[in-house]
Amino acid sequence: MSEIRTSARTPKLTLSKVKDAVMEKIVFILAALSAAIIVIVFIFIFMKSARIFSVNGLSFFTTKNFDQQILKAFNAPADKPVWDFGVLGLIAGTFLTTFGAMIIAVIAGVTTAIVIAELAPPWMKRVLQTVIRLLASIPSIIYGLIGLMVVVPFIKSSLITNQMQINFIKYFQLSGNSMLAGIIVLSIMVLPIVVALSVDAINAVPKKHREAALALGLSKWRTIVKVVIPAAKSGIIASVILATGRAIGEAIALSMVSGGVGNIPNLANGPVFFLTPVLTLASAIVNKSETMSFETIQSALFACGVVLLIMSTILSVFTKVVQNFVKRREGNV
Amino acid sequence: MSKLSNTSALNRRKITDLFGQSISWLFSSITIAVCFAIIIYLVIKGKNKLSLDFLLTQPAATMDQHKSGGISTPLIGSIILTFIGIIVAFPWSLSTSIYLSEYSERNPVAGFFRVCIDILAGVPTIVIAIFGLAIFSNPQFGFLSSMVEGVAGARKAFGRSFLVCGLTMAVMVLPFIIKTCEEALKAVPASYREGSLAMGASKWHTITKIIIPSASNGIITGVVLGMGRIIGDTAIVWLTLGGTLRMTGHQPWWLPQNWWSALTNTGSTLTSYIFYTSPAGEVDMPQVAFAGSLVLIILIIILNLVVEFIGKSKSIQKEQ
Amino acid sequence: MDKSICVRNVNVWYGDNHVLHDVEIDVMKNRITAFIGPSGCGKTTLLKCLNRMNDLIPSFKMDGTILVDNEDIYAKKVDVLALRKKVGMVFQQPNPFISSIYSNLKLPIRENFPKMRRNEVHDTIINKLEDANLLEEVKNRIHHSAMQLSGGQQQRLCIARALTINPEVILFDEPCAALDPISTMKIEDLLTSLKEKYTIIIVTHNLQQATRIADHAAFFYKGKIEEQGPSEEMFLNPKSPLTQDYLHGAFS
Repeated sequence: MSEIRTSARTPKLTLSKVKDAVMEKIVFILAALSAAIIVIVFIFIFMKSARIFSVNGLSFFTTKNFDQQILKAFNAPADKPVWDFGVLGLIAGTFLTTFGAMIIAVIAGVTTAIVIAELAPPWMKRVLQTVIRLLASIPSIIYGLIGLMVVVPFIKSSLITNQMQINFIKYFQLSGNSMLAGIIVLSIMVLPIVVALSVDAINAVPKKHREAALALGLSKWRTIVKVVIPAAKSGIIASVILATGRAIGEAIALSMVSGGVGNIPNLANGPVFFLTPVLTLASAIVNKSETMSFETIQSALFACGVVLLIMSTILSVFTKVVQNFVKRREGNV
Repeated sequence: MSKLSNTSALNRRKITDLFGQSISWLFSSITIAVCFAIIIYLVIKGKNKLSLDFLLTQPAATMDQHKSGGISTPLIGSIILTFIGIIVAFPWSLSTSIYLSEYSERNPVAGFFRVCIDILAGVPTIVIAIFGLAIFSNPQFGFLSSMVEGVAGARKAFGRSFLVCGLTMAVMVLPFIIKTCEEALKAVPASYREGSLAMGASKWHTITKIIIPSASNGIITGVVLGMGRIIGDTAIVWLTLGGTLRMTGHQPWWLPQNWWSALTNTGSTLTSYIFYTSPAGEVDMPQVAFAGSLVLIILIIILNLVVEFIGKSKSIQKEQ
Repeated sequence: MDKSICVRNVNVWYGDNHVLHDVEIDVMKNRITAFIGPSGCGKTTLLKCLNRMNDLIPSFKMDGTILVDNEDIYAKKVDVLALRKKVGMVFQQPNPFISSIYSNLKLPIRENFPKMRRNEVHDTIINKLEDANLLEEVKNRIHHSAMQLSGGQQQRLCIARALTINPEVILFDEPCAALDPISTMKIEDLLTSLKEKYTIIIVTHNLQQATRIADHAAFFYKGKIEEQGPSEEMFLNPKSPLTQDYLHGAFS
């Protein structure tokens, strides 16, 4: 009996067992490395910006005039580097452009998704989805180019008057590069995300809910509004969060159209509120990248990166939390 | 006993429904019109300068649009970058996704890995770009770019080169390929795994000979889409490659002995070329910028079509 | 006995597929009428004609007359939504909305009776839950998710929901097919009590169920009504040999 057992354990089997164990370890190490990257990113970016935070503390978030600070740091003598920076203007710029873009994107995006998913005939559905998918693949630089060649001149010629320019010349130059241009370009960039994911969410609502509503005497439109959209809301919210993350992080296109100075738009200026040139955290990094060789400026830009990193991490975690919350609330679907 | 053609209630409801639907159609029509307009605008503006010549000539650094040359160097730069990025990212992503899909049932460590990778996926590319710059500016990585004399004699690495940019691209595209590969692997039916193991094959053998080939369509899709991402990115290029039009390395760059020099020096890609020739860049030659944009979009469309083709051939296979 | 629904010379096609041939049937008020017969013989098709749910299928074509309360429901001026308030439906798979039990009932009330006051709405919800024999079991979690109910409870919720619009006729498409025997029994009892106020038509595969609760029955075979009449008569003395074979289990 024992002879049979030992003859079953041929050397070949043992070799492949060793291979199995080795490959398992290798695969684990590579996976651990992948996970480690984000940790390394955090460490490095924090390290490179540590000096800024230790010098400025919380006033980093509450002080404005980033551009003048960069200029000062640029002109400072080599032995007396200037470490004072404040990104309130950039934070305001990020917040306002993202908020404005998201309002447009949600209204336009969800209605388009409703039309594509529920109201359009089949041939139209296919055309619209192809167009949306195409737009989603266009790189941000091209949106920046179009913004620069179409949106900015349009704003300059039709919304900015000579009088306005004269009035505001001591604060900033009204050239069409503005928060409005940034909002318009951003909203078109994130629109396909909202549309595509909302269409998926609406299509995922099982047919039986629509049938139930129709059999209860609801019209097709009321079914959409009262049954389908509420059932799809977690997917729609997910698309909004994703789009927001995209908008916050957009650097290149905004650096081309939103203006190069970190002003905080003032509502008291009336319509010029929208025409003020602004900078966002992301576009500031691109805009000031030529002066990165200065250690002080480099640190300041890394500090902007820290803020962006924290924002995107919060959004990622928030998405997970929302998904789990909705799953638990809806029980077993 | 209610009548079925009660007209006043019927009309009231029809009006409100019509209103709601009309608003939807109105907003979405405007949206779609804008989308179409963008596509048409790009085609119109770009097609003039587009020609075979354009693709094959080197760009010339002049302010004159008529003598601006072509986009051969940026095109090749994009291709080199994509190549480096995918070569590094693909094996790494595949291994990670193999671990996540095959070796880690309900393991809290794997859950932690997933969270980390998800967070990385959400990081804006500009942050990845400065991260790349931060890491590769260290003198230890000087071999990847060139060394420069920093301020006060401290030696730093220049931190910008094709290699640096390619590695940073790999970091950017890693979470994306991991996710698509993991989905592809998970989609392989459990019966394949069970069948193979029941026949005495080892786990690794099962993975390499059965599961991966079966998931190959999804995996290839992930890689092709990842390529699209690398080709289209500008932020990482701008910070880790710079905006020069030509290759800066020993010339002529196409000779094999100059290849390492070309890779450790800077150059341009389609995206930085577009930036350079736009009004926001050094020279203002929108015509070639649009032509370059058209080339970029066509490349991305081709990649998307490849993905669709793979998807279709998969469904045909399944029917057979 | 009054007639609630009259069906005359009805033919139905799905595209080129002729699924109902010259169907003629009267459905009596306040009775339970069962459509029985093997799968795919047109029972559910006819059922879905009665509240015009078949309109949703693009390839649907109908010929003939269907009168509900002496009104032709396929006439040009007919408001389909008003029809569906008169003729309600409960589906094979319980399909409560993804919200609370309370909201499931509140939605159809609010949509159909927009002027109803809040306390009236509340009373209606409680009453209908009671009519559906569900109130006792859910009164302590009425604002909890409907998804947490068992299959049988969800189906009774769907029945309560169908009652909120005060229909005259309620159509049941194999309502117990997805349920266990005890839930089935509860729903059968419910149907028997409901027929006092409503006219009930039920499509069922379950012959014993039809025997238990139906007053009238119609046997469908290959798109035609082979035999119909008071159920006791039909089950004890079937006139057609085909019916006899079906009742004895020769095919199903």
